[in-house]
Amino acid sequence: MLDLKIHSNEIDKIGKFSKEEKDYRIKNLNYFNDIGLPNKKDEDWKFSDLNAIVSKNFKKLNLKLGKSDNPKINFIKEFEHNYIVIINGKLTASDFKYEEKNKIDLKPFTNEDYSNKKENNPLVNLNHALSHEGFFLEVKENYKFNKVLVIYYFYTDDLDENLLNSKNKIKIGNNSEIHFVDFIVNESKRNFFNNIYEEIILEESSTLKNIYLQNDKSPGYFHKYTKNKLSSGSNLSSFIFPTGLKFNKLDLEFDLEGENSVCNIQSAAFLNEYDHQEVKTRVNHLYPNCKSYQKVKNVLNDNSKGVYQGKIFVKDVAQKTDAYQLSKAVLLNERSEFNSKPELEIYADDVKCSHGSTSGSLDKDSIYYLMTRGLSKKESTKLLVESFLNEIIESIKSSSLRNFIKTKLENQLKNEHKKH
Amino acid sequence: MSKQNTNIPQDYKYGFTTDIDNIKAPKGLSEETIKFISKIKKEPKWMLDWRLKAFNRLKVSKEPNWQKPKYPKINYQDLYYYSAPKSMKDKPKSLDEVDPKLIETYNKLGIPLNEQKKLSGVAVDAVFDSVSVATTFKDELTKKGIIFCPISEAIQKHPDLVKKYLGSVIPISDHYFATLNSAVFTDGSFVYIPPNTRCPMELSTYFRINAAETGQFERTLIIADKGSYVSYLEGCTAPMRDENQLHAANVELIALDDAEIKYSTVQNWYPGDKDGVGGIYNFVTKRGACRGKNSKISWTQVETGSAITWKYPSCILQGDNSVGEFYSIAITNNHQKADTGTKMIHLGKNTKSKIISKGISAGKADNTYRGLVDIGRKASNSRNYTQCDSLLMGNKCGAHTVPYIKNKNSTSTIEHEATTSKINEDQLFYCNQRGLNQEEAVSLIVNGFCKDVLQQLPMEFAVEAQKLVGISLEGSVG
Repeated sequence: MLDLKIHSNEIDKIGKFSKEEKDYRIKNLNYFNDIGLPNKKDEDWKFSDLNAIVSKNFKKLNLKLGKSDNPKINFIKEFEHNYIVIINGKLTASDFKYEEKNKIDLKPFTNEDYSNKKENNPLVNLNHALSHEGFFLEVKENYKFNKVLVIYYFYTDDLDENLLNSKNKIKIGNNSEIHFVDFIVNESKRNFFNNIYEEIILEESSTLKNIYLQNDKSPGYFHKYTKNKLSSGSNLSSFIFPTGLKFNKLDLEFDLEGENSVCNIQSAAFLNEYDHQEVKTRVNHLYPNCKSYQKVKNVLNDNSKGVYQGKIFVKDVAQKTDAYQLSKAVLLNERSEFNSKPELEIYADDVKCSHGSTSGSLDKDSIYYLMTRGLSKKESTKLLVESFLNEIIESIKSSSLRNFIKTKLENQLKNEHKKH
Repeated sequence: MSKQNTNIPQDYKYGFTTDIDNIKAPKGLSEETIKFISKIKKEPKWMLDWRLKAFNRLKVSKEPNWQKPKYPKINYQDLYYYSAPKSMKDKPKSLDEVDPKLIETYNKLGIPLNEQKKLSGVAVDAVFDSVSVATTFKDELTKKGIIFCPISEAIQKHPDLVKKYLGSVIPISDHYFATLNSAVFTDGSFVYIPPNTRCPMELSTYFRINAAETGQFERTLIIADKGSYVSYLEGCTAPMRDENQLHAANVELIALDDAEIKYSTVQNWYPGDKDGVGGIYNFVTKRGACRGKNSKISWTQVETGSAITWKYPSCILQGDNSVGEFYSIAITNNHQKADTGTKMIHLGKNTKSKIISKGISAGKADNTYRGLVDIGRKASNSRNYTQCDSLLMGNKCGAHTVPYIKNKNSTSTIEHEATTSKINEDQLFYCNQRGLNQEEAVSLIVNGFCKDVLQQLPMEFAVEAQKLVGISLEGSVG
């Protein structure tokens, strides 16, 4: 077992802090050190034993930050976009050439909240203790973005067993709208661990759409916790295509804090060769007349492992809630594994809540049908997998973005196809 | 609807106590208590050693606390672990020798042994507190080679069978309450069905907790040998008392090749009064092993009583082509809490399981379905179907669904669906329009909601269960 006890002098190495901030960091570090990396005895980590995974793949974790000089970035050419560049967690460049500059505020993240709440997730405590770098983006009231914003998360090739912690905050003002893509580009060929904490605030009647995407396969170990707060009338859609990381856990929490707010989470993943992916969601219906919709699709190949833990919580006052949760998984290989825990916790009676979860192989009749039409077994499988995942991609409205994601997925399937 | 949600106290018609002298073990949990129980049961040494092994294990194991319904700490030293009616000391040889007062209790419960013997054809092994009072129909069963007796008798008369199977499904180190039961269990039923025998009648046990400050720890062991079939019924009641009483039973089922066991429970322990005072803590471990090929175990449960119900009747599907089923209705009203469900562990090839769970919450109650479906690497072509429906009445109660679904086999299929809703206003209106009052309408709709499960119950229980569904929800709708 990798013993990960972090000494408090590591905090001094990050920078000089006010007494208040330093106390806050030390307190959180102690919380983390008490528990360490969570293992499967922790209910939230039941299906992803992080302690075992890290112990198996890392000799040691260091807290070095990695270089932050400007590397060459291949910007996406397929569609016009604004961008922010984050290198190893640090905000280094940005360009909002399609937008009104006075409506946008972007700066490095600085902490202002020192509330001493003990988090349930030790990695969040770890982030509170050691976070360094990150950004704060604010979209002012009544502004609608003209073009999509791409946030390039770039990881440099010198990363080797580093543990990175960064914090981001995004705030969308009343009646504003933004679409953005989290685009992960990793140059490192070695293992490193990236731990992100993110807070997203949607003020009244605002709209946010985001897409989470990797450029390529990479040996990164990622954990991201996002707290989303939705005010009344706001609308959030999240599309997650978390393919290609060695380990990835997205822990997403949505607080529906105002009436008529809507949240929509959809995920499609194709996992391969010892990939381990977990999508964990918690949707808290705290006010009446809110809607939430979740659809998570996974295709698992080789020794991969997929996990979905979803929870819908409905408070007693949240009448007329409409909440839906669906998880579907296809296992292609006898060594792959899929675990799910779709949970409902409901305290209001006038609600419509349901969930479904299936896992199994591809339909044999469908494969047979395609083979009678002259396709080989491999081609039939590929076609069926593609159409299974495409259902999620199809629900993206922008055609240029949709095609970009489709191409990424097709390339991935093609590579797999060649290999076998 | 929720405004008029008045809690008219429901009538717990089994809330009487019977005034009988009891022999009790010394209060508290200790080696002496265990030795006392073992001695009074005239147990052989191996059984005492087994109990003590469990007791030693208990000392190092911790009470679990992950469950949803929390309860005040139980003081295990403040309980009586053995309580038997005094007149039982010299065991009666036939029903005529049974204390008339006991017989009267059973008559109040609606299980008149004498009458049943003649009319219904149900053989009853009635457990009153901790001792089996009398077992009916023994002769007829003996002719077929079926063994149906108190487990204490089986320990003496059929030690080989007991030694071979006791603790083979629920090992003594399993978890806190199972270990506690292994150390202090007092009585329970033992059933053995020989190969290729179909048990000619439904076997039945009636449990009742009578004495104050006692825990009930019965142990049931059912073995269905190759090609046999048995249907087993279990019913439970307890008197009204202000303090909470603990019930921690263990039930082990073993089905060998081609055998089938059907286990039905109607649980109507005292649920506490409308303010949540008193009631039974029902922390039971029930587990069945489909050891043989083509074997089948089916659990059906109607849970209407208990202050807290916390149990997961499970199936371990070891044999190829074996089948596990779980049908459940859990009704909670007032301050009742339930955390129940099942575990289906698929190990053999072509194994199948089906889970139908109906949870109904009213008043200030909390009802949780928690279940596990686990398909192992080697369980090719296995299949599971799960359906969990919850019905909420009022906005002070809760309904929760916590399924754990694990699939490690690409040729197997798991399907799970769950819904939560309230009673449809249109359906209520339609019933009202046809002349049914609100309460009758709700009872009708709820019975319809539960139909899939009620259908699975044997005749004798189906009628009682349907009535119970109505009684349990009395006063929950205005």
